Amino acid sequence: MDDLMQTVLQESRVEQSRLERYTREAALIVGEENLSDSKADLLATCRDYWPVTTVWMGEGKIPALPQLVVWPHKTEEVAGLLALAEKENIPVTPYGEGSGALGGVIPLKGGITIDLKKMNRVRWLDEKNLLVNVESGLNGALYEEQLNRAGYTGGHFPQSLRCSTVGGWLSCRAAGQFSTRYGKIEDMAVALEAVLPDGTIFEGKGVPRTATGPRVDHLMLGSEGTLGIITAATLRIWPLPEKRHLVTYTFDKLEDGLEAIRLFMRAGTRPAVVRLYDPQETGNHFPELGDQVCALVLLVEGAQKIVEAEASVIEDCTRSLGAKNAGPEHVEHWLEKRFNISVASMLFQKGAVLDTIEVTTNWHNAHSTYRAMQEALIGVESTMLASGHYSHVYPEGAALYMTTVGFPGEDKVSYYKKIWQAAMDACLAQGAAISHHHGVGLHRGNWMAEEHGAGFFVLQKIKSALDPNRVMNPGKLGLGEVQKWAR
Amino acid sequence: MGQVNMEQLLNCAYCPNMCRNECPVVQALGREAVAPSGKARTAALIGQGYLEWSEEMLEAVANCLACRGCTIHCPFDELNLCDELLFSRIPARNKGVSLPGIEPYLNNLRKYSSPYGQKTGSVIKRHQDPEVLVFNGCTSLANNPASIEAAASLLEKAGVSFCMIEEDCCGYPAEAWGDLELACQLACENKRKFTETGASILVTNCPECWSVFNNRYPGWEQTLPLQIMDGPSYFLQLIREGRLKPDLEDPGAGNEFKVSYHDPCIWARTAEKIDEPREILRSIPGLLLKEPAAFGTGTRCCGGGSMFQLSFPGTASAIARRRLDEFPGNTSIVTACPFCREGLLQNGYPVKELVELLDQYCK
Repeated sequence: MDDLMQTVLQESRVEQSRLERYTREAALIVGEENLSDSKADLLATCRDYWPVTTVWMGEGKIPALPQLVVWPHKTEEVAGLLALAEKENIPVTPYGEGSGALGGVIPLKGGITIDLKKMNRVRWLDEKNLLVNVESGLNGALYEEQLNRAGYTGGHFPQSLRCSTVGGWLSCRAAGQFSTRYGKIEDMAVALEAVLPDGTIFEGKGVPRTATGPRVDHLMLGSEGTLGIITAATLRIWPLPEKRHLVTYTFDKLEDGLEAIRLFMRAGTRPAVVRLYDPQETGNHFPELGDQVCALVLLVEGAQKIVEAEASVIEDCTRSLGAKNAGPEHVEHWLEKRFNISVASMLFQKGAVLDTIEVTTNWHNAHSTYRAMQEALIGVESTMLASGHYSHVYPEGAALYMTTVGFPGEDKVSYYKKIWQAAMDACLAQGAAISHHHGVGLHRGNWMAEEHGAGFFVLQKIKSALDPNRVMNPGKLGLGEVQKWAR
Repeated sequence: MGQVNMEQLLNCAYCPNMCRNECPVVQALGREAVAPSGKARTAALIGQGYLEWSEEMLEAVANCLACRGCTIHCPFDELNLCDELLFSRIPARNKGVSLPGIEPYLNNLRKYSSPYGQKTGSVIKRHQDPEVLVFNGCTSLANNPASIEAAASLLEKAGVSFCMIEEDCCGYPAEAWGDLELACQLACENKRKFTETGASILVTNCPECWSVFNNRYPGWEQTLPLQIMDGPSYFLQLIREGRLKPDLEDPGAGNEFKVSYHDPCIWARTAEKIDEPREILRSIPGLLLKEPAAFGTGTRCCGGGSMFQLSFPGTASAIARRRLDEFPGNTSIVTACPFCREGLLQNGYPVKELVELLDQYCK
């Protein structure tokens, strides 16, 4: 890379002779045309959408660079590449479309980045069993488009739908905006095909449930490339819905909105979209509702008779908490704008540090966790905004999504660390879990031991057993190898 | 002259690529460096002085079809990334860095005023006091004279007083390859020739030419003193006026035949000519229009935009094949762009231009 750019997090790099040997042998596996050490390719895969890397980009800094990018086309090639990497002790970072928000694809120790975007086929679609088998490098929007053409939906609509891959969803235990009806990605993943660091390919059976010990393929869910590489998955699909019911309710108090949701979930309804905004976010997203009420945006879909019944139960539950029906138009507005995150680019250019922090709580502490995190974020000097909404709900609780914006002046990275420390402290003190669907990546690894307690030891043992040379995505999930990035 | 708008370029560079599913290049290549934000980041870092132009960097930034697929979902109303990437890479030429494979074409452009070399397919037709000047474009002249004959035939049938002249390139390829001086020279010469014809309307069936006449010539201080019309709109106007009557049965076909229309990117997304070509097609007796998976403003590029195929022929072919997969089976493909016809044709699918089909059915 040009001397004009400085790397900030590079822990180490593979010496040239070993890398050259790897490159020669890797070319025999994938073909020379599927390898690159071009500066443009190395630079492009050195980051994801972690706000810190965006701050650094504005300062002409690079987090860390891979030394080689490789594009496999099939699972057997991934197996060959990983076995070779383990033999040569070359660090491997899997890459999808780089929409992660926590630095999960930064190649801290150089080595190779395996870009999976050429593994992008829908292998088969089984209409009888409502299953699809898809390779992990397929873009989310193109996956949904292919299903729609056949009359189905994958039911998974993260805000990153157009800039993330199926493999990325599985690796980070992603959630889509319609998760209350269709589930998180781990609920949709019936079986996974993956490659271990030694090149072993294994695949779970695409059957409804098993009682044959732990599902080892499901071990890869949320492993963020630290245990191996997910190469394909058998996922649930649904027929395109017959009917949609859109409605917004407003509540005077956030607690009332939460209670209404708890009641209709307890009653057995499963609206696809459930989003309860605090007054500040209600005012931002729906100015016509003002910033003194809490908007609950609901979208119910499926077979007409079921939708009508669910809508009726929901109406009863919300009315019992004093909600006002604000009609369907705010949901239509949300549907239209739900992928628009332009404000982030504009705020970064104005010197802001903006981030979103999602956690997950039970009903008993859903509101207190919001209060505690909001107070903690506002308490950090230079914070201008700390707002929140609940956007994925379950019979036992809800995910809380906090948004914070600050203008810290010169030392943006220190400010970033402070807001995260404050937010994580508040979350852990409430007994909530530190992530619902963004995953861990590099940065959240700082709190993994506190999050899991003794369970983290189990995760470390699994890592050591499956990846004894520690070549897979070094430094992620809090599994060590990080010197240059700490709280 | 086009200048980089760094604020807009950074809006894209700081965005997580919410448009990448509609970028045919990254979907065909799978390379992060050619995703829309990937290109914007590289261009912005170079523009800010953090990186320098090299062949590798230019190859990545120029991997753009100017199809504006990235605008379909772009949240920034004022951002035209394709233009920003083009403007940003113009200085590369001054640093001695040029695109792969284009030097012979650029030399042709300088010597013969056509990227394809000495013009062999020129069709000069002239009515006295022509109302319409037809600008065919280098690609039709070089590769598909039949479409030029068809356009002339239609105009004759409609009784339009028109002319076709010895054409020079519109100048767009020169700009795309970083030679703005040459682009302006060609524009200046075109303006002189167009003015001399005395025509009041310029009709072109080439979207690239239409776009450069409308969107570049004013900035190059060569605003044309003619009304500039796209081919589909003009020929539809002739049908609506009853001057063209597509009522002949095709002697070689049955009573009903299926056609899919491939929307050229510029006609669909820049000129917003979605209904016009379809209305022409529906006016043909027995024609059944079947849409591909992506159409209208959501159309996907054939791989032939922005002279891309001359620098990146392998990628252009891969993009064309992906596009062909989106068409329903057992249909003929019709388009209204010489580049689209060429791109799809070279991948083994017979493709006609709209004027060719229309002429076949008009008395």
